[in-house]
Amino acid sequence: MLNNLLRNTLLIAKREYLERIRSRVFRITTLLVPIGFTGMAFLGAMSGRKLEGVQNLAILSNNPALAQQVKVALNDGAMPPKLVEVYAPATDADLAQVKEQVASHQIGGYLTVETTPGVAEPDATWISGSSINLVGKAQMESAVRSALIREQLAAKGVPQEQVSGLMKEVKLETKQLKGSAVVSSDSERSFFGAYGLIIVLYASVLIYGINIARSVVEEKTSRIFEVLLSTASSDSLMLGKLLGVGAVGLTQMAIWGALLVFYAGSAFAATQGIHGLGSLGITRAELGFFVIFFLGGFYLYSALAAALGSTVSGEQEVQQFSFILISPLVVSVVLLPYVLGNPNSTGAVVLSLLPPFTPIIMYMRICAQMPPLWQVWLSVVLLAASVWGMVWLSARIYRIGVLMYGKRATLPEMIRWLRYS
Amino acid sequence: METLVELDHVSKSYEEKAAVHDLSLKIEAGTMFGLLGPNGAGKTSTIRMMIGITMPDAGKVSLFGKPFGNDALKRVGYLPEERGLYKKMKVIDQLVFLAELRGLGALEAKRRAKLWCEKLQIADSIDKKTEELSKGMQQKIQFISTLLHDPELIIMDEPFSGLDPVNAVLLQDTLLELKKHGNAVLFSTHRMDQVEKLCDSICLIDKGKAVLAGGMREIKSRYERNQVIVQFEGSDAFLQHPAIAESKSYPGHAEIKLKPHADAQDLLRTAAATATITKFELVEPSLEEIFIETVGGRADA
Repeated sequence: MLNNLLRNTLLIAKREYLERIRSRVFRITTLLVPIGFTGMAFLGAMSGRKLEGVQNLAILSNNPALAQQVKVALNDGAMPPKLVEVYAPATDADLAQVKEQVASHQIGGYLTVETTPGVAEPDATWISGSSINLVGKAQMESAVRSALIREQLAAKGVPQEQVSGLMKEVKLETKQLKGSAVVSSDSERSFFGAYGLIIVLYASVLIYGINIARSVVEEKTSRIFEVLLSTASSDSLMLGKLLGVGAVGLTQMAIWGALLVFYAGSAFAATQGIHGLGSLGITRAELGFFVIFFLGGFYLYSALAAALGSTVSGEQEVQQFSFILISPLVVSVVLLPYVLGNPNSTGAVVLSLLPPFTPIIMYMRICAQMPPLWQVWLSVVLLAASVWGMVWLSARIYRIGVLMYGKRATLPEMIRWLRYS
Repeated sequence: METLVELDHVSKSYEEKAAVHDLSLKIEAGTMFGLLGPNGAGKTSTIRMMIGITMPDAGKVSLFGKPFGNDALKRVGYLPEERGLYKKMKVIDQLVFLAELRGLGALEAKRRAKLWCEKLQIADSIDKKTEELSKGMQQKIQFISTLLHDPELIIMDEPFSGLDPVNAVLLQDTLLELKKHGNAVLFSTHRMDQVEKLCDSICLIDKGKAVLAGGMREIKSRYERNQVIVQFEGSDAFLQHPAIAESKSYPGHAEIKLKPHADAQDLLRTAAATATITKFELVEPSLEEIFIETVGGRADA
């Protein structure tokens, strides 16, 4: 009996797997998604380069010493410009010429710094050729502030070299304590993995969860399931479907994963400051949990899709429930900031133990701060149990949905079926 | 003879409507069994209980002499009334998959699938996708998939519906051949002519109840041979004979219905005295007539 179940399950899984792997859709998505991501990475690299500070500018001032200090401060700053022209004391002719240069895009903008004797604060204005450049604004602000201090220091008789030394920018390195190891931490990259899981889970549930639902609906509308049910139990049909379509998803993930590792080690990635997976902030343990929670989440949502698929009668209705399917994922995403801020609060602990939320919330907690191990394993056990329960339920619904034209099965009927399946 | 299927006082209702009520029947190995009845009589419901797709509310279903269990299903070939195949699958892959589900090895399944496709004249389509084939071809593929694992019990729900005459005969011959082999065949239909030709025993159900059941010969013998066809030359005065209930007369040809327990031989003697008789035949009622008489002449069959 058990042998039979296993054999049928594998046969069905094999069919689902082979039919999909051979399909054109599989080849196209496997290729297109990495191409799309690479394109996005390139675009990101391009726009990242634009975030550099102002390249060419002019300084107009009635105070030559201060103007000179601003130039030095700019050159010592985080984003030194290529060319800084100083007009001090500036004439109206200088101003007209500078305006001309901005208009013809020779320089990015000009900074006017006017001091009034007896007033400590100078009047500083940054006139830019482009509408808004937040980086440029910050650059100028810090340069003027720094120049004022430099001037004060110089006035107190501190030598120029010492002033430069004092005004050097301080680099603050951030590290994170994970277990007993201090690892380098970068607030953006630390959660790369968690966001990665969300994207991967979201995409695969949408693609393969819906795929499973469609395959259930196809068997219902083509009526082949009556033949299938006359030989195989609905448990092996559902389980086989889940394993088969799941294996397709995993094959695709494996291909993409291999491409990602290849990318992370590539020269292009190095130009983005990425040297191997480690620099993405992903530890080996996190990768392990990633796989566990991805599989758990994937199978839970796929089984839910199968159950929903068994209840509908046509292909069109599949679209309607795709929202129901992904809504727990959406809720997880909405709750992320709360969980990140309070990874060990009661709310976060409870959420991370509820199976529909476990994959994302628990993984996020693991990335933020390792929760007690019993919580992690409890959540995995609950997740696995709910996958099993969902398969059981969907097998029942599938069976009933097949035969009762417009008639819902009564509870005693379901219990009787149970004995024979 | 081995009993392959036994329904013992089986009932099944959906909501308030009783689909099958207190139905008992037996199917023996090496016989062909016809399940007859008007539309909605409960034929499909009965069949589904035989193969465990639904469970009876009351009564017992036995397959191969044992209470119903899923293991027995590998010895059954089932063709549902509503046909279905995987549209995108290649014919050969589909046949192999369905045969493997019924316990056949992949290689053996492939070998048999090819043999059957040749036998039913669709060997050219073996590598095509199912959706590229015509309806009739798809029907044949479904028959093959039902028979590939050489089931001892073949259950077909309305197998002849939607088949052209040539393919209907092809299927009939195939089923007869399987019967000769010792397989039991059960099929449901509302076409009496096929049942009359093919079946050894029948069960006629109406509104979920068996109204007529037993061996074909035995059932027919229950009905009197009370119809006479006469071909003659000369006077038709014998049509006034007291044994005749009603008659239709044509030139040289008469169709007569006798009164109950009337003496046909006396009619023959009377007729021979006044006319030259070239044919005098006592006809047994056709199954169709029995059917209509039993079900009450309702025209929804």
